Amino acid sequence: MTNRLKTYDFKNACLFTGVIFIICSALFALCGTFIVNSITQEQELELAELSEELKSQYEEHGLDWILDDLELDDRPIWGRNESLERLDEHDNLFKVVQANRLLLGSQLSFNADDNPTWQTISFDSPQQFDVLTIRIDLGDALHVTMLQPKSYESRFIAAAIWRLYFYFISLFVVFVVCTILFIQYQNQAKLSQTKKALIEIAKAPDSTRLPVPKRASCDRDIAESINAMLDAIADLHGNMKTMSVGIAHDLKTPLSRVANRLQSMQHDINDPNLIETHLNHASNDLSAVISTFNNLVRLNSIESGQHKEKFVKLNLSELIYDLALSYLPVFEDSGRILEISTVNDVICFGDADLLSQLICNLLENALEYSNNDAHVWVRLQSHTGSALLQIGDNGPGIAKIDQPHVFERFYRADISRSKPGNGLGLSIVKAICQVHDARLDLLPEQKGAVFNIEVPTSN
Amino acid sequence: MKVLIVEDDFDTADFIKRGLEQNGDVAHHVGTAQQGMILATSEEFDVIIFDRLLPNMDGIDAVRILRGSNVATPIIMLTALSETVDRVSGLDAGADDYLVKPFDFSELYARLKALTRRQPLKQEALSLSIGDLVLERTARKVSRRGQALDLNPKEYQILEYLMMNPGQLVTKTMLLEKVWGFNFDPKTSLVQTHVSRLRNKVDKPFETELIKTIRGSGYILSDHD
Repeated sequence: MTNRLKTYDFKNACLFTGVIFIICSALFALCGTFIVNSITQEQELELAELSEELKSQYEEHGLDWILDDLELDDRPIWGRNESLERLDEHDNLFKVVQANRLLLGSQLSFNADDNPTWQTISFDSPQQFDVLTIRIDLGDALHVTMLQPKSYESRFIAAAIWRLYFYFISLFVVFVVCTILFIQYQNQAKLSQTKKALIEIAKAPDSTRLPVPKRASCDRDIAESINAMLDAIADLHGNMKTMSVGIAHDLKTPLSRVANRLQSMQHDINDPNLIETHLNHASNDLSAVISTFNNLVRLNSIESGQHKEKFVKLNLSELIYDLALSYLPVFEDSGRILEISTVNDVICFGDADLLSQLICNLLENALEYSNNDAHVWVRLQSHTGSALLQIGDNGPGIAKIDQPHVFERFYRADISRSKPGNGLGLSIVKAICQVHDARLDLLPEQKGAVFNIEVPTSN
Repeated sequence: MKVLIVEDDFDTADFIKRGLEQNGDVAHHVGTAQQGMILATSEEFDVIIFDRLLPNMDGIDAVRILRGSNVATPIIMLTALSETVDRVSGLDAGADDYLVKPFDFSELYARLKALTRRQPLKQEALSLSIGDLVLERTARKVSRRGQALDLNPKEYQILEYLMMNPGQLVTKTMLLEKVWGFNFDPKTSLVQTHVSRLRNKVDKPFETELIKTIRGSGYILSDHD
């Protein structure tokens, strides 16, 4: 687990740099061409203007004026060398021709067009000249041909752009490669830290967490969300553990009793009466195991939400009242008092079978755990948009330490698991509430166990 | 009683078959839905036991096909899925009853009896009677030896169901399903308490006991000992 740069880091750096190089070159080429073009266009315009001016001068004042304008006193004839010198020094060269006779100017031959045109001419010398040429017809078989080399400005700027491009690119490529490698190195360092931390977490997933950077950053967000995910998984893991311990315990007790009964049957094989007693007990114990599994299956199916498809509008008041009424003699026989007070015609959207089980489980919880002479109540009141169902008793209630856990699967306040039941009743209640979007609370600071259920209504 | 068992698990089928034969009934067993459908359409049976999960075919589909081809024999479905949703789809397809595995043989037998004994007359009859006990359905009145009995609605429903199945075992689960509409098993003695109250009114003031408890199984209403 090292934080050294990997081969793929170098590959990535080269790739990135290559892409950036291509983009920069293209930008340079685009900008350079644009700048140089605009300068040469300017030169063309100037030459065109000059030709117009010469024409009008000739019309008004004749040829001598033009000579003045071209800063010439006499009518010189330049040979090849003189012509090239002049081209170099004065940045222009011309000749005036009348009826194929050279009146003045360069003896060099070159063609030209009526519009300014760029040409590359060598004049039989090793040097190549990029020149702008124009032919100006003055009438009377007289014409002037001019040529101008590329302006100094344009040559300078083109050269400057090339030089800038060369220096910039060579420095820039080095800089980009280094920067990318540095960033990759830092990332590798962070990654290898995270990898190390994750390996530690794998060893103790419930307690170890990723270190969270103090400064707000993307790394902190990621560390926090990974930690939150780990917490959620640890909760699930905890539930699973409680559940498997619960299942193991709930299976072990009745199964070992069955095993004991089988042994006793072997012992009492000759006594039919005893055999029957053993058989009955063994059968009851196995029923308890099956009932635990049935409840687990039911709990899972409630949680999966498949019942929602069968939800209908139903009269919650009637359902609760009828059920509570059914339980009245059961409570009476056990010495407890059941008080029923429900408002009429609370309509909700739900599954009658599930809602019945919710009420049964809470009432049976009260039967199981309240004092022998307890006062137990079922109350239903309506609000706007919801109805509040309360099922409670006046003692002894649930110990504070157990209260946060009562809805967990297989959780039982009584550690010895001496009372019947499998610790799934209240988990089923919770699942039924969830599937009905109802809010379930165990009220704190009460004398007994008081459950509040707020059911959304559709009156 | 002639029973057709369609069940791919041979242990379960054997368990049912032995139980039925011990009670003097005739049982035929087949292992696939196709065989079951062929037999059900070609022979007369009093009742059919159909497993829900069969190889190659869902029992529900098989029952739907049987009902579609006018086979009116009562059908009870067996399933390992204890869910209301499945129960409802089974009943929707045309099954008459639904039992979750694992089950007690006495529970299955009581349900088979209830299915075969359910005569149309009993369903519609305006009054039911056993010995000197009379239940008048239109007036919802019950009397014994001419003496009116004051029953609450649940007690009335329990007695009505028992009287519709005279001499037959009616289990606690059957009463929970038929009287309360529960598809789950409450832990406490809801049924026992109500039956005991009913018995206090129906039997206690008179010499002969009509409602008999079969321990661990259920109740039988009968005027014979």
